[in-house]
Amino acid sequence: MTQSVVGVVGLAAPQLEAAEKVDGSARFIADLNRPGMLYGAVLQSPHAHARILSYDVSRALAIAGVRAVVTGDDVQTNWRMGAFIKDEHALAKGKVRYVGEAVAAIAADSEAVAREAAAAINVVYEELPAALSPHAALKPDAAVIHEELANYIKVFDTGSAGNLCSRTSFREGDIEQGWRDSDLIFEAHYLTQAQAHVSLEPCGALAEIDANGRITLWSANQSVFRVQANVCESLGLPMSRLRCLTPRIGAGFGNKMEPHVQPLAVLLAMKARRPVKLVLSREQDFEMVRARHPFDIRVKTGVKRDGTLVAREVEVLLDGGAFADDSPGVLGYALLMSCGPYRIPHAHCHGRLAYTNKMRFGAFRGFGVPQITFATETQLDEIADALAIDPIELRLKNLKRQGDRWLGGQPIASCGLNECIERVRTASGWNGGRHRAGSAGSRRALGMACSAHISGLLSTGAIIRLLEDGSVLLNTGAVDIGQGSNTVLSQLCAEALRVPLDRVSIASPDTDGSPYNWGTTASRVTYMTGISVLGAAAEVERKIKEHAAEILECSAQDLELVPGGFVAVKGIPHRRVGFAAVSGRAHWAAGGPIIGSHSWVFDQKTVDPKRASVVGLPFPQIGAFVFNAIVVDVEIDETTGKSRVERAWSACDVGRAINPQMVEGQIEGAFVQGLGFALFEEMVWNGPQIANPTLMDYKIPTFIEAPSELYAIIVESNDPGGPFGAKSVGEIGINGVAAAIANAVNAAVGVRLRRLPLTSERVLEAMLASEQK
Amino acid sequence: MSEIAPIVLNVNGAARHTTALGGDTLLTVIRDQLLLTGAKRGCNQGVCGACTVLVDGRPVRACLSLAGDCQDRRIETIEGLGDRPVMRALQQAFVAAAAFQCGFCTPGMLVAAFALLADSRLPSEADVRRALSGNLCRCTGYKKIVEAVLRAAHALADEAVA
Amino acid sequence: MASNPALFQSPTLTEALDLLAAIPGARPLSGGASLVAMMNAGLVEPAALVSLTRIPELRGIRVTADGGVIIGAATRHNEIAADPRLCGTAAVLPHAAAQIAGMAVRNMGTIGGAIAHADPGLDFPPALAAAGAVVELASAAARRRVPIREFFVDWYATVLTPGEIVIAVHLPKPKPGVGLYLKHARVSGDFAIVSVAVSLARDGEAHVAVGGCGPVPLASAEADGIVSSDLSASALAHAGDLLTALANPVDDVRATADYRRLLIPRMLARALNDCMAASRSVA
Ligand SMILES: Cc1cc2nc3c(=O)[nH]c(=O)nc-3n(C[C@H](O)[C@H](O)[C@H](O)COP(=O)(O)OP(=O)(O)OC[C@H]3O[C@@H](n4cnc5c(N)ncnc54)[C@H](O)[C@@H]3O)c2cc1C
Ligand code: FES
Ligand code: FES
Repeated sequence: MTQSVVGVVGLAAPQLEAAEKVDGSARFIADLNRPGMLYGAVLQSPHAHARILSYDVSRALAIAGVRAVVTGDDVQTNWRMGAFIKDEHALAKGKVRYVGEAVAAIAADSEAVAREAAAAINVVYEELPAALSPHAALKPDAAVIHEELANYIKVFDTGSAGNLCSRTSFREGDIEQGWRDSDLIFEAHYLTQAQAHVSLEPCGALAEIDANGRITLWSANQSVFRVQANVCESLGLPMSRLRCLTPRIGAGFGNKMEPHVQPLAVLLAMKARRPVKLVLSREQDFEMVRARHPFDIRVKTGVKRDGTLVAREVEVLLDGGAFADDSPGVLGYALLMSCGPYRIPHAHCHGRLAYTNKMRFGAFRGFGVPQITFATETQLDEIADALAIDPIELRLKNLKRQGDRWLGGQPIASCGLNECIERVRTASGWNGGRHRAGSAGSRRALGMACSAHISGLLSTGAIIRLLEDGSVLLNTGAVDIGQGSNTVLSQLCAEALRVPLDRVSIASPDTDGSPYNWGTTASRVTYMTGISVLGAAAEVERKIKEHAAEILECSAQDLELVPGGFVAVKGIPHRRVGFAAVSGRAHWAAGGPIIGSHSWVFDQKTVDPKRASVVGLPFPQIGAFVFNAIVVDVEIDETTGKSRVERAWSACDVGRAINPQMVEGQIEGAFVQGLGFALFEEMVWNGPQIANPTLMDYKIPTFIEAPSELYAIIVESNDPGGPFGAKSVGEIGINGVAAAIANAVNAAVGVRLRRLPLTSERVLEAMLASEQK
Repeated sequence: MSEIAPIVLNVNGAARHTTALGGDTLLTVIRDQLLLTGAKRGCNQGVCGACTVLVDGRPVRACLSLAGDCQDRRIETIEGLGDRPVMRALQQAFVAAAAFQCGFCTPGMLVAAFALLADSRLPSEADVRRALSGNLCRCTGYKKIVEAVLRAAHALADEAVA
Repeated sequence: MASNPALFQSPTLTEALDLLAAIPGARPLSGGASLVAMMNAGLVEPAALVSLTRIPELRGIRVTADGGVIIGAATRHNEIAADPRLCGTAAVLPHAAAQIAGMAVRNMGTIGGAIAHADPGLDFPPALAAAGAVVELASAAARRRVPIREFFVDWYATVLTPGEIVIAVHLPKPKPGVGLYLKHARVSGDFAIVSVAVSLARDGEAHVAVGGCGPVPLASAEADGIVSSDLSASALAHAGDLLTALANPVDDVRATADYRRLLIPRMLARALNDCMAASRSVA
C-alpha cells in the first residue's frame, strides 16, 4: 500500500464547495440567469404511439411574448443520438413513442407565457397500437416502434430486430454438464419494478448562442462531454461549435448522464437567437427523463449437497422503453454480474431488451445489478435454507478470491469481500441467531446479501498546471454531481505533489478546456480519473525535478518532492527549492510553463475467449471489481405487513478510502435509496400513463424510514492498479439492499417474495396465505 | 382575474418592493424577482422541503405560500440567517459532519433545523428526525444530517454554558 | 399554468363572507397547503381567493363554560398537535394532527381547510368523527351546525354550499380516557392507506372511525355501541366487520381496495388493544 506522505489521502476533508452549499449561494441550473434570457416550455405527447400528421403553431406564435417554437420539423431525419444505438431525435419527429415525449417546445418572455403557448399548439395525430410491456412488444404481431431500426447506427453487435432492441449472452463451462453434476436444482422467477431517480433537483438546461453562431450550454448533467456529443448528434452540429459547462448538480443517479432537455434548449436558443432556460417540473422530470428498468428474471442454480455451487442459468427480459439510451449497457452489465462474486463453473446468462411505448429506461445507480442481485441473492438464501446451511457459510464456501477470474475471464486484482462478510457478521451479532425480539405485534430478523461492482471503463484524462506562484490547478473534466469528486481528485493531486490541499484548485468542467472524461457514472471517477491525476502529477513532478536540478546543480534523480511544495536533494532537506521558484524559471527563463497531462482508456478485456463465449457485449473492457456485504435487521408489523429496517451494516471493499467520510456518505446514501427500492418505491402505469408522477404519489424514504442505526463499514483491499489503492464506492452500496431486506423478511415471517417492492400489502397477503397452508 | 400588482415583502429584515400576480407563490417571487435562489424548487407541491423558509419565525413551504398573502409577515431565507449564532453553528456542523452531498436539499434542511434548535435547545435524535421528516434528501441517507444537527445543538449548549 | 386570482385578505369574518358571496368563483384560502398545490399543478384556477387566516375569531382553541372545546377553523395543525387541553378522549385529535405531513406543512395547514378539502386520505376527518365533533358553518346569509358524521357526503364533497365556510369545530367536553390515532401509510407524512381513530372513555363509552376507505370516514352508531360494551376479540371483529361493510375503497397508487378492506378489522383491533394498554398504564 502506498503510504500517505502529506496526510491528504485518507483525510476526511470537507467538500471544496462546502461554503457555498451551506450559505445558499451554490448555483444549480435553475438558479442561473443570462441577460435577455427567455424561458422554455415543452408540449408533451398525449399518446403512447401515434403518427404526427401535422402541427399548427399559429395560435402559439400569436401570443404576446412568444419568441420561438420548435417541432420535429426543425430537425433532420438522420440527426439521431444515442449511446449504443442512435435512435432518438431531439424531440419527436414523425411519430410519438410514449406519453409525455416532447413534441414541441416554446421560448417566451416568461415561463407562464411559454406554458400557455405550448398548450396552444395543435398537433394532429393518427393513433397507433401501442406495446406497453416487453412481452407484448416481442409478440410477432406487435406494432413496430422503430421502423428504421435496421438502419440505425449501432456501436456493437446488438442483434436488433422488430422490437428487440438488443440481446446479450455469456456462456462459460458446460451448462448441461453443470446440471448433471448438481445434486439439487433451484429455479424461480423474479420481477422488479421501475424506480425513479428523484434527484432532488429536476433536470434543466440553459443555452446561449453568440453572433458568430457559437453555442454555450449549461445543464444539469453527469458529463459535459456526453451532453456535447448528444446535442451535436441530434442537431447536426460540429462538436467544436458547442461549449458545454456545468453549474452545481443537484445530484445525478444516472438520470443526468444521457440527454434530457439539452437538445431542446439549444434548438430554441438557435431559433430565438436569445439565451433560453428550460427547467422541467417535477412531473415532467418523472415523465420525460428516465427510470430504472423493470426486470423479468428467471434464475436456475445447481448445487451440490454440501453447498458447492455448480451451475447457474439466468434469463432476463428488460423493458427498455421507447429509446435504447443506456439500456443495452444495463442488460450486458447485469448479465456480467449475474453469477455474483461466486465460483460457479458452468454458467449460461442471457437476456433480451425490448422497445416499448413507455418513457425510456436507463442508467440508475447499480446499472441493473440491484435487480439481478435481488433474484440471485434471495435464491442463495433459499438454497441455504433447503440445505440447512447458514446463509453466510454458504456464501463463504463459494466466494471468489483475489486472482480468480470473473464471469467472462477477467482476473480479480483485489478482493476484500471475505473481510466485508466477517465485519458485518461480527458487527450484527449474526452468529447469536438471526431472530430478534420484536416490539409487540411484530416479528424481527436479520438478513444478508453480497454483491459486486466495477470501477473502470472507457476513457478519461487530467491536466495539471503549475501556476507562476507554485500553486496547482487541476483540470479533469469530471463533473462533481455532489459525491465529492472535486475534493477527492484534489486530494489525490495534493498527495502526489506533496502540497497542502489548499494549494490545489480544480477547474470546472468545460468542453473547451478540459480533457475528455466519459462521465461521472459507472462508479468510475475516483479510479479512472484518479489514475489520470496521478499520471499528470508524475509528469509535473518530472518537470519540476528537471528545473530544480538546474537550480540546485545536481541530478534530477537525486531529488525528491518534500511536503509543502518543495523539491530537495534526497537526504539533505535544506538543499531545496520551492515550487514558486521552479515555476518562475519555467515561465520566464527556460522550458516553458509546467503542464502535466495524462489520458487513458480502460483496456482490460472483459472476455477471455478461451474461457467464455459471449454474444452482444456492449462493454468489451470493464473491470476493477469492488465488493459489498450487507446485514439488515428488519421488523415486520403483523397487523399491516409493513417492514421497517431497524439497523443495517454495509461493508464495502473500496480498495482504499481517499476520503473516508465521503465513502461513508456514498454507502449510507446508497443504502437508503436501496431501501426505497426494496420496500415501496414503484412507478405505476395506468395503461400508457404514469399514474404517480409526483412526490405526493411516488414516495422516497424520509428521515423516519432511514434506519438510525446505519453503519457504513470501510474495507480496504488496496488494489494494485488503483490510485493509492482506491477502487470505487458510488454504486456498490445499493446492489444488495433489496435482497438483504427480502432475506430478512423471509427469516422473520417465513414468506419468500420474488417481486419488488416488498410493500406492506404484498407482505401481509403472503403472510396470510402462508398461515392458511 | 388580477393584474400584476406591486407588493411589499419583508424579507431578511428589509422591505422589498416588487410585483406579483395573485397566483405567484412566495418561492417564485423570492427566486425570480428578488434573486434569492437559496430556496430551491424540488416539487412545487409541498413535499420535498427544498423551498423551506421561515415566516414569522416558523418553517413553511415557500412553494405553497402566495406572495401576496405574505405581505405582513416576516420572511427569512437561508441568505438572511447566516449571521445568527444558531445558523452558524449548524453550518459549521453540516460541513464538519459532511451532512450534504449535492447540497440541493441543504438550504431547506438548514432552515428547518434552525427552527428546531431555536425551539428546543437539546433535541434527541428522534426529535431531529421528526422535525426534519418533511425535508427530503436523496443523497445522504440522512444519518450525517442528524449527526450535524445534534453536533450543532451540543456546540450551542456548550457555548451557552461557557 | 400560474393562475391569476385576485387575492383578498379579509380582516373580519363578515367581510370575508360578503366577498365570497359577491364574487362568483371565489374560494376561501386557509393554509394553502392543498389549494396552492392544486393551483401550481394547474388543477384549479379560482377567480378570486379570500384569505381567512387573519380573522381573529377563526384562530385558536377555546374552552367553553360547559367544558366543550371550540377549535377555530384557521387553527394550524401544529397548534392542535401541541394543545394540552385536547386531552383524555379528545387526545385523538392532537395524536392525528402530529401525524400529518411534516413540520412545515403542519405550520401552514388548518383544520378548517383540511375538512373542507375532504380528501379521503386526510387525518382529521376520522379523528373528528371519533371525537364526536360538530362543524360550525357560516355564509353571508346564515350560520348552522352539522355533526361531523354528516358533514362529508362524497369524494371531495361536503355539505358546504357556495359561499359557505367552516368557521369552527366544536368538541364535547373531553372525558377521562384515551384518544388514539393509528395511521398506516407508505412513509411518514404520506396520506393514510388506512387509519383508525379511537376515543375510549374510562367509563367505557367508545367511538371509532376509519379513514382512507371510501369517500367519507367510516363510522356507525352500531359499531360504537359494540365497542362501548365489549372489547373482547370477537366483539372487535364484529365491529370491524360492520365498518368494513360500510367501506367503499378504491385501488390507487398507495394500495388496493382489497388490502384496505382487509386492514379495517385488523387495525381496529390493534388500535383498541393499544388504547386498552394505554389506559391500563395511565391507571
Ligand atoms: C406535502 C403535504 C403532505 C400532506 N400530508 C397530509 C397528511 O398526511 N394528512 C393530512 O390529513 N393532510 C395532509 N396534507 C394536507 C394538509 O392537511 C392540508 O393542510 C389540508 O388539506 C388543507 O388545509 P389548508 O388550511 O392548507 O387549506 P387550503 O389549502 O387553504 O384549502 C383547501 C380547500 O379548502 C377550502 N377551504 C379552506 N378553508 C376553508 C374554510 N374554512 N371553509 C371552507 N372551505 C375552506 C379551500 O378553498 C380549498 O378548496 C398534506 C399536504 C401537503 C402539502
Ligand atoms: S418545492 Fe416546496 S416543498 Fe418541494
Ligand atoms: S444532499 Fe443531495 S439531496 Fe440532500
